[in-house]
Amino acid sequence: MTSTAVRRVADLAHGRSGDKGDICNIGIVAYDVAGYAELREHLTEERVKAHFGELVQGTVTRYEMPNIRALNFVCTGALNGGGTLSLRSDHLGKVMYAWLLKMELPVSDA
Amino acid sequence: MTTDATSGKVVRLGAGMAFWGDSVKPAAEMVRATDLDYLCCDHLAELTMSILAKQKAKNPAYGYTRDVLALLEGVLPAAVEKGTRIITNAGGANPDAAAERIAELAKDLGLSDIRIAVVTGDDISGRIDELMAAGVPFANMDNGRRLAEVRDRLTHAAVYTGSEGIVEALEGGADVVVCGRVTDIALYLGPLIYEFGWAWDDWDRLGMATAVAHAAECGGQATGGLYAGGWQEVDGLEELGYPIVEVADDGTAVITKTPGSGGRVDVGTVSEQMVYEVLDPHNYVTADVTADFSGVRLEEVGPDRVRISGVTGKPRPESLKVNMGYRAGFVGEITFTYTWPDVYAKAQRGLSFLRKRLERAGFECSEEVVEYLGHNSAWGSVIPEPDDPDRNELVVRYAARCADAENARKVFTESVPLYNNGPAGVAGVGTRPPLKELYGLWSSLIPREHVQQSVRFITV
Repeated sequence: MTSTAVRRVADLAHGRSGDKGDICNIGIVAYDVAGYAELREHLTEERVKAHFGELVQGTVTRYEMPNIRALNFVCTGALNGGGTLSLRSDHLGKVMYAWLLKMELPVSDA
Repeated sequence: MTTDATSGKVVRLGAGMAFWGDSVKPAAEMVRATDLDYLCCDHLAELTMSILAKQKAKNPAYGYTRDVLALLEGVLPAAVEKGTRIITNAGGANPDAAAERIAELAKDLGLSDIRIAVVTGDDISGRIDELMAAGVPFANMDNGRRLAEVRDRLTHAAVYTGSEGIVEALEGGADVVVCGRVTDIALYLGPLIYEFGWAWDDWDRLGMATAVAHAAECGGQATGGLYAGGWQEVDGLEELGYPIVEVADDGTAVITKTPGSGGRVDVGTVSEQMVYEVLDPHNYVTADVTADFSGVRLEEVGPDRVRISGVTGKPRPESLKVNMGYRAGFVGEITFTYTWPDVYAKAQRGLSFLRKRLERAGFECSEEVVEYLGHNSAWGSVIPEPDDPDRNELVVRYAARCADAENARKVFTESVPLYNNGPAGVAGVGTRPPLKELYGLWSSLIPREHVQQSVRFITV
C-alpha cells in the first residue's frame, strides 16, 4: 500500500450485521492483533455514529470481544422502526456492516 | 468422534434449519453422512410468529411452519434408523397441529414406534387480560410505552421459553420434539442439559453451551455463507454444509460441518457468526442463562474444525421476553426506471408527478422512503444523490407506510400514468404488486412464574 492510498476499515477487518427490533448490531472482526489495536483506537462510538449519519437515529455503544479481535457496535433507532416495519430495502440491517468497512482511516505515518 | 480432555463423552448436534424457508437438503445430507445425536431445527424469526398467527386465524389446522414436513420427509427415516433425535420450533403458533401432521407423515413413511413430544406454554395470546390483572404491565421494553397503544391490534403473544420442556420431552423418550416459541438457544441447550445432566444453575456450563448454540443456530452463516472476510475463497456455496457441534461435558465444543459438503469452517467464518445479532456480549440474555461471550476464544484444530471456548455464565433473568405482534398497516410500493440523459432530473420530475397525483387522490401515509436501487438502497441518505447527467439509468423505488390497504393500493394506481404521461425515458412498468401487510413487534417482559411449559406425547 502506498502512502497516498486511501485506507479503509475493510483493509483491517471484516464484519457482519443484523437486527433486533429497531437495533442494528455491527460486528467488526480484525484480521490481526495490530489491526484490532488500530480499530480500537480509531473506531470510537462518536466517529461511528457520525459515519452513519441519519441512518442511526439513536445511540452507538461499542463492546469488545478481544480474543476474537472483534468490536461490536450496537446502534439504536437504526432500522427505520425495526425489521418488520422498515420501508428500507435493507430492512434487517444485513449490509450496515459494509458501510462501516468502507469508512476511511487516517493515513498513518506516511 | 473426537476426544476431549474433560470426559470421554461428546454430544453431536447438527443445525438442520436456520429459518423458515431455509433449504432442507443440508439437514438430510448431514443426518445421512454423519452420526448425529440431535438435529436442531430453528424455523422462527421475530416476524414469523405474526405470520403464523395470521395463518392459524384463517385456518385452525395451520399456524406452524409447513417446511418442517418437507424437512422431515427427507430426514426422518434416516434419523430413526441412526438414533438421531430431532428438536424443532416449527410448531410456531400451533405446535399441536404440527405434531399431528408429523405423526401422519411418519405413518405415510411407514415408520412405527415414533414418539413425538409437543412442548407448549409459550403462547399467552389468550391470557393478556388475566396477566395484566395479575400485575404484568407488558410495557414496551425498548421505549417504556404502554400496551394500550396497540392492544386492540395484537396478533399474538409468545414468550421466549427455555429448555425445561425440551429436557422433559427427551426424558420422556421423544424421537421428535415439536416446540412453539422456545429460544433458538434452547433447541441446542435442552439436549445438552439432558445428556450431561448439568444443573439448572451451572451457569458457566450453560453459558458456554449457549455460545456453542449461537455459533450453530444460523446454519450456513457459520460455514462460509455471507462470509465478508473472503467470499471469493469459499468453495461450494451451492452445497454448503451446515454446522455440526461436538460438545464436551464442560460445554466447550468443536464446530465442524458435514464431511464433503461445501463451505468452510475456520476462525474467520465462525467469528462473523459470533458477533451476529449480539448486543452486549457480557450479557447475552436467554431464558436459561445470562451468557458472557466477551472472552470467547476460537482456535483451528483441524481442517474445517474450530474449537470454541472461553465463555462463562451468570444467573438467568428473572423475567422472560415476550414478543407480541400487532397489525401496523400496509406498504404501498413501486419501482420505475429512467434512462439517459438526465436521469436524476427525470426521476425528480417523476416523483413530483406521483406525489401530486397521490395528493389529489386523498392519499395518506405515515412515512415514505425514496431509494435509488443500485445507488443508495442500502445506505440511504449518507450516499450523495445520483445527479450525474450522463448516468445510463436510475431505478427509483418509492414506498409508503399506510394505515390501511386502500391507501397503500393508491401508490401503484397513481404511478401507472407515469408510463404514458410523465417524463421521457421511463422503463420497468410492472404489474400490480401484492400488498404487503406490516406487523409491528412489541417486546416486553413477564416474570417467569407466570409461564409454565407443558409436554404432551403422541406415539405413532
